[in-house]
Amino acid sequence: MATDRTLTIRNLHAGYGKLTILHDVSLDIAAHRFTAVLGPNGSGKSTLLKSIFGMATVTSGSIRIDDREMVGVPTEAVGAYGIAYVPQRSNVFADMTVRENLLLAVRTLDRHARARLLDEVSALFPLLNQRHYQRAGHLSGGERQMVAIAIGWLAQPKVLLLDEPTAGLSPLYASEVFATLHRLRERMTLLVVEQNARSVLKWCDDVVILREGALAYCGAPDASILYEYLGIQIDPRRAPVVQSQPVALAREAGGGADLKTVTHEIERIADKLATSERRSA
Amino acid sequence: MLDALLVDSVVRSIQTGSLYALMAIGLTLTFNVVRLPNFAHAELITIGAYAALLVSMGISTNVPVILLAAFIAAALAAVLSHRLVFRPLERKGSSIYTLMLASFAVGMIFRYILFLIVDTYSLFDKRIQVPVEIWIRSTPLILTNLFFWAVPTSIVLVLLLTLLLRGTGLGREMRALAGNFDLARVMGIRVERVKMLTWFLAGGLAGVAGALWALQTSVNPTMGWLVILSVVAATFLGGMTSFVGTIVAAYIVSFSENTLMQLLNYFLGVDFGFKPAIPFIIILAVLLFRPDGIAALFQSIRKR
Repeated sequence: MATDRTLTIRNLHAGYGKLTILHDVSLDIAAHRFTAVLGPNGSGKSTLLKSIFGMATVTSGSIRIDDREMVGVPTEAVGAYGIAYVPQRSNVFADMTVRENLLLAVRTLDRHARARLLDEVSALFPLLNQRHYQRAGHLSGGERQMVAIAIGWLAQPKVLLLDEPTAGLSPLYASEVFATLHRLRERMTLLVVEQNARSVLKWCDDVVILREGALAYCGAPDASILYEYLGIQIDPRRAPVVQSQPVALAREAGGGADLKTVTHEIERIADKLATSERRSA
Repeated sequence: MLDALLVDSVVRSIQTGSLYALMAIGLTLTFNVVRLPNFAHAELITIGAYAALLVSMGISTNVPVILLAAFIAAALAAVLSHRLVFRPLERKGSSIYTLMLASFAVGMIFRYILFLIVDTYSLFDKRIQVPVEIWIRSTPLILTNLFFWAVPTSIVLVLLLTLLLRGTGLGREMRALAGNFDLARVMGIRVERVKMLTWFLAGGLAGVAGALWALQTSVNPTMGWLVILSVVAATFLGGMTSFVGTIVAAYIVSFSENTLMQLLNYFLGVDFGFKPAIPFIIILAVLLFRPDGIAALFQSIRKR
């Protein structure tokens, strides 16, 4: 499966300050594929993205992109390595217009490259064409998410990291977001943290499953694996279906279906709890 | 009688309000982009005034030259305070309260260095060597050349700053840093460079305001400190985050201190000694009744 590796993670231990959340995670992310990072709340999904982007404390291990070491690179310099990151919350400049948001993303390019990319953005994100002069903070959740993804895409990274791009969106908008990401995959590698496992499975090529800060599975979305770790039953010939929705949802969210809307702060607290449970166990 | 007093106080309100706007907008800029309520802003004003005085004594009495010198001197002092004090503190992860206290300390250090220099060279209460000329006299209105330097210069500088913030890449980067610091870092905006330029601009504007202030009064090391409360009142009233709010508030503070004071004195016999209390009252009133200032008022009107 891994024909062309882009992102290689080896023996990663990471967390926040003295708190370690990820334990000995090793991963190979294949180029030009859409990889979904799944797992219950507090399993360290967001921490994985943040450690790639210099926003978490990496205690040991290595993160390489095309054989260049990323650990220790400050956040503002990570973009230069060909990685872009779309955070879950506050991922647009709310006080600025959509156009200003997009212009910020292409600020380092010359005029021609800028015009070309902005044209491509209107083709890739048709939802935004009517919204250029509106403040990003006044958009609907789905539109705002499109602006955030467009900002990430405009950096023209090799690897685009997205943290729960469909959190809080209606199912319609969520599939619009996934369809857009699916289109982007031809030009870049996608690593997407997703709470909503069932819907992302229709679109992704590979899955990474984290459990309590450790890697549980990495590879093709195999039916038995998904059932074992996430309680999801899929029919390989059809789109994934859920056998018993309430049970699966509860398992997926670690006890409460509403949890997918919780903020990063709460997820971090859950992360902390999970870790202290691990320690006491 | 009241006519003449009133017209005179309105002229003073406009003139002082323009200078308050220039001072307050720099304070708002530092507060939002660098996230520092910088009380050393007072001394940047004083440094601008002294730079203007020294240039007028030794080099040139041409007003644009004086203003340019004041801009550069105060801008450099601002950048210096950032490099030597505020940036090292930020890197240690200091809280906003620590930074604010540090800004008081930086202000004091600047003030007493100025005292030392001023004492050595006997520069207390000197006047800038630009003669006052009356340009418009039609009773009861009297306008001097100082009015025509202070008001248009402030308005032009505030407009230029607005253009910079709205229409240029650097301005967008500054607003990005003010609006969402983490996202700005994720997008690779060179935070340190933008902060330095912000300090340079905020300091320079304070310096020009100090020089214009010095044109109409005598220069001494506490002049910035004496005016900073009015400027802080303007930024509070303006809502801390909005530039338009800050400018409007600067004129409101100035009108309260001059025209309103004049009316209170004329009709109620309130002593002019009460004037320094006005900014305090404005600050308290904002904190008590409208903590979000004028900016929030604008927004609630727009929503209706």
